[in-house]
Amino acid sequence: MSIKYVPKELPIDDNVNVTRRHPLKNFIYLLGTVVIISIIIFVLLGYTASWLATRIGADNEIRVGKLLYNTISETEVIDDRRIYYLDELLHDMLDVDEIARLPLTIHLLDTEIVNAAIMPGGHVLINTGLLQKVKSENELAFILSHELGHFQHQDPLKSLGRSLVVVSALAAVGIGTSSSSGGLSDIVSWTGELTILHYSRNQETKADEYGLARVINHYGHGGHSLDFFNGFQKFEDGERQLSQVSQYFASHPENQERIDYLNTLAVQKGWNMEGELTSLPDWIHCPDMDEEQCEAEN
Amino acid sequence: MENILQISLVLFLLILGYFFGSYREKRHFRNLQLREKQVLNMPIANIGRNLPADITETKLVVGIVVISIDYFKKISAMLRNLVGGRITVYESLLDRSRREAILRMQEEAMEWGASQVLNVRLETVAIGGRFGGKTDPGSIEVIAYGTGIK
Ligand SMILES: [Zn+2]
Repeated sequence: MSIKYVPKELPIDDNVNVTRRHPLKNFIYLLGTVVIISIIIFVLLGYTASWLATRIGADNEIRVGKLLYNTISETEVIDDRRIYYLDELLHDMLDVDEIARLPLTIHLLDTEIVNAAIMPGGHVLINTGLLQKVKSENELAFILSHELGHFQHQDPLKSLGRSLVVVSALAAVGIGTSSSSGGLSDIVSWTGELTILHYSRNQETKADEYGLARVINHYGHGGHSLDFFNGFQKFEDGERQLSQVSQYFASHPENQERIDYLNTLAVQKGWNMEGELTSLPDWIHCPDMDEEQCEAEN
Repeated sequence: MENILQISLVLFLLILGYFFGSYREKRHFRNLQLREKQVLNMPIANIGRNLPADITETKLVVGIVVISIDYFKKISAMLRNLVGGRITVYESLLDRSRREAILRMQEEAMEWGASQVLNVRLETVAIGGRFGGKTDPGSIEVIAYGTGIK
């Protein structure tokens, strides 16, 4: 048997095995689709999750708070007069007939990072680095009231719900677990990043409004309470220490915008924004232990 | 900061992958067309039975090629995994690999002086990439083999 073979030239531009689509167009189409769908899903899931998270009940919130608090690696300063001072100031900020949703606990963390935060379950975190930077009680009162505002508005729970959704959704899609994007280590770090609660701008504004209202209520004026943000801005621009820029400030609206908004609000409400400075206790920078050493330094 | 670094690394690899990848792909396709014309008269078939009676000599002829995926193709494919459909960026890669492997087999057969290659088979393997790290995109290997006859 013989086989007849007819040489046939291959078509140049019409290869049945290769779909003729520009790779860049293809890429942009894919990226666009994936991004848009992800945003829609995350927004929808995020709202649902934050709505659900605020409905878990007090007992569960305390339990979640304990779990989250245990993930914090900074050493906590215990049995220090600064804690009692902060605790008193925090509770003073509450309105006369207002009660905190849950009992509030102050945790003083020994770290240089200038930051304050609130966690579900009423854990108020204050870094010693923040105490180094505040110049007056008014500033501190505003920061504490701001965090209190987040807590009363259940912001930490909402953010937690949202974070959990984001992490689980990413895991479900396979980003972070597949070898292609770096493996399990990524998802762990992302989880960590996301459990550091980020709030939306809207939540920030509400917390700021609450904070300033409480400050006015307590001192009768808002003078000096916003100085901290001016000071911080200078500090940030001057030294450019990126590691020092804490997430409290990174996740919060631009400082100047914030101050301007609050001043406008004060004018509308007829709040007095001028007034006496209430000074901090001398020992606000000092641990109980090295009192003498500390006084010598000052 | 870390995120910015990560994003710029991904962007850099994407751009690198796109420009180098498509330049090489175009060049390869042109090269394939030229070489395919030269072996046009070397018949190949994937039947193996009922061999011609006048065979004097046979030889196993093999062509192998390994082509790397570039980062751009890989990310495109990853995105495609999420929405489904044809991974067109891999189609061209597989086409190049197949044609190159067959060409190399034919070229080997021509050099040996074969009149045709029968019983041609194609195999494909994915090398690396599956368990590799972030920047290891993996590659595709195609083997073409057949029996050259004189
Ligand atoms: Zn805030």
